[in-house]
Amino acid sequence: MNTVVTAQSLSKRYKNTVALDNASFQIEAGRIVGLIGPNGAGKTTALKAILGLTDFQGELSVLGLDPRKQRDQLMEQVCFIADVAVLPRWLRVREAVDFVANVHPRFDRAKCEAFLARTKLQPEQRVKQMSKGMIVQLHLALVMAIDARLLVLDEPTLGLDILYRKQFYHSLLEDYFDENKTIIVTTHQVEEVEHILTDLMFIRDGKIVLDADMEAIGERFVEVMVGAERAAEARALKPLDERQVFGKSIFLFDGVSRSTLDALGEVRRPSVSDLFVATMKGTYA
Amino acid sequence: MTITWNDSVPIYRQLRERVVAMILDGALNEGDPLPSVRQVAADFQINPLTVSKAYQELVDDQLVEKKRGLGMFVTDGARNALMKSERERFLREEWPTLFARLQRLGLDLQTLLREASSEKHA
Repeated sequence: MNTVVTAQSLSKRYKNTVALDNASFQIEAGRIVGLIGPNGAGKTTALKAILGLTDFQGELSVLGLDPRKQRDQLMEQVCFIADVAVLPRWLRVREAVDFVANVHPRFDRAKCEAFLARTKLQPEQRVKQMSKGMIVQLHLALVMAIDARLLVLDEPTLGLDILYRKQFYHSLLEDYFDENKTIIVTTHQVEEVEHILTDLMFIRDGKIVLDADMEAIGERFVEVMVGAERAAEARALKPLDERQVFGKSIFLFDGVSRSTLDALGEVRRPSVSDLFVATMKGTYA
Repeated sequence: MTITWNDSVPIYRQLRERVVAMILDGALNEGDPLPSVRQVAADFQINPLTVSKAYQELVDDQLVEKKRGLGMFVTDGARNALMKSERERFLREEWPTLFARLQRLGLDLQTLLREASSEKHA
């Protein structure tokens, strides 16, 4: 397969904190990768490194380019929507489209306008007259009209209502994504993206603590609800996590065979948020 | 559309089951096109690979065929083939659990049949 991002021992240190600590990972083409971590785990720093927006130690190759040295070439192939999606407040929709059409060689104006026509945005409307959701729509219209190989989304739906959030991912899947494109997304709304993702990466204290495709995750991680009489037996299998519900214990296992667990109680696939909570325990303690 | 997926079965299987149910119910007839992978992915907010995987299983089971450039279509004979395989699968996978539950609840055949016929007349 085609590798889009290769990171080897990526490290980044700010004055008193380590934002990235020897992080290594690979991202293949045609994947939708969720980079999930608590606040301050290093998500944004990792994205910035990929986009050539920050310096770092270690090796990093994005679409075969070095983001530190070949940023101009890289920018033709990469798009980014930041959590603080800033567009100048005086800018009109029409001007934003003109601007991108002039600076980006891979921008398709007709596509952008078709997308805008499906929103309530008006050509003469200024950013300062838009709600947060509308600003994201504008941003998305601009970005989706660019034929880029890599799209980086940093908390793209932060602060949006449910309607805008659903529409955001709907548009991405319907009008943008295909097997030649790759999306990296960070979000705290894990439930919202969990079925969209093909791969999951957990980051904690600058380290990648989980990196697997969703299918492997479904096979590796299993939750079992066990009655009190067999709880000790389950505990002996070294669960990642244990919590109590209605007098039963729910155990989360990594890599214990399903047949072993089937014997203990009712088995189910943990949600990404269950996994996240179990993996990140003690982060703020 | 929002659907709640069942946690104990992979989503591609659940998606496959939905299509199967639609064929059995006659909501999808033989020769009908399936919605595109992209459309299903966007509507259900699931990843396109999941949809492709579900469709691929249907192709492997010869319930659906791919027509180049046109998409996926329900094959001739899909409904009959499904009736057969779904009956077999029910007996193999669902019936043992269901039977165990009926026994646990102490429900016998007469009671169940009486209930079913009174439902019909009600």
